[in-house]
Order: sequence, then structure tokens, then C-alpha cells
Amino acid sequence: MVNPKDLLLKDISVGDTASFSRIFTRNDVLAFARLSGDQNPLHLDEAYARTTRFGRRLAHGMLVGSLCSTLVGMYLPGKRCLYLSQTLFFRKPVFIGDTVVVQGVVRAKSESTGVLEIGVSITKDDEEVLTGIATVQVLI
Amino acid sequence: MRTFNNIVAEVFKISDAEIHDGLSSKDIPEWDSMNYLLFVAELEKEFDLSFSMDEVMTTQCLGDIRGIIEARGKKHG
Repeated sequence: MVNPKDLLLKDISVGDTASFSRIFTRNDVLAFARLSGDQNPLHLDEAYARTTRFGRRLAHGMLVGSLCSTLVGMYLPGKRCLYLSQTLFFRKPVFIGDTVVVQGVVRAKSESTGVLEIGVSITKDDEEVLTGIATVQVLI
Repeated sequence: MRTFNNIVAEVFKISDAEIHDGLSSKDIPEWDSMNYLLFVAELEKEFDLSFSMDEVMTTQCLGDIRGIIEARGKKHG
């Protein structure tokens, strides 16, 4: 098991960032389709995907969105994270084999509740493919 | 800028007309521990103030929270 970061509330300030990258493989898309039950042919059927305006299979939006969970659960704040809410905007398609970069920036911090608001931006070739806001509590 | 009532309505999913200072977690179905944290965090962000942990733990109703904001000299509505 990979160890998550273990940041305390006092270690975190507004403006702090964390980032990592990820490539989604065919097997990732298949695994997510099985796990979620979303077996839409846009994700699984190459012949069908070719007939759409995308021209090839897409990674599920929620598979890409799941990287927000990775960001807060593993990097910012990491181990002490309690995930409270998440908004997601799917802005551009992500294809199998694409490399995406996930970046989070702390936009607000509440000392009294331990709540952080983290802006999340996922990019591909420096273009935003997904944005959202994660709200988490840093557990004591 | 959002008002106190705007944030109450937004977080607890109630209409402006329903809001009064006596409302507490017993009256508002959406007032659970998670939403309460989000509510306090939204107030702190909007009005640029910090509650103490004691204040967060001891407030009983909307009027208590409004009172804390007023005591800090912040306009909220």
C-alpha cells in the first residue's frame, strides 16, 4: 500500500498546492465499467466510438473525476481527510492513453471546523478537462 | 456578497421565508453534522471571520450564530 501524506490542519495554508499525473489504460476503463455498471459503448465499443464525433473510446468522466478523491485522500491533506463534498465539471473528453495532470489548490481554510475548500483542476496538454471544488475536513 | 440568510437557505435547503433565529437542528432536516460544518465554513469565508471551536460546539440555533457574527462587528444582511 502506498502511504498517503499526513498533513495536519496547522501544516496547511490557503494557496498550498499538490499535484500528480495519471494515464488511463484500457484495463482501467474496463475495470471502472465493471465496478460502476456504466457499460456505455462510448467507453467500451471501439467500432461504435468511431461513429461518434469523438472518433475513439473515452474514459468515463467519473473515472477521471475519481482522481479528485486520490488528490484529497493521498496528497492534500492525505491520511486525515474526511471527504465532505465535491463538484465536477466535465469540460473536455479524456481518451484512453491520455496523460492527465491533477492539481489542487487550497482556496479556503476554517480553523474552527477543520474544513478546507480545495479547487481542483485536471488538465491534458495544459488544457482543462475537468474542474471542481472538493470540500474536506482534516481530522484531528 | 451573500447574506446570512442566503447561506442558510443555500446550505440547509430552506426558503428565505422559513428562516428565523429560533431555528435549530431539530427544525431543519438538512441540518446534520456535515452540513453544519459546511455552514460554518461558508460563513467564515463570506464574512471573513473565524469562529472558535467552543462557539462551533455550543451554538444551538441560527440566532446564536447570527449573534456571534454581529458581536464581531460584521454586517450580514
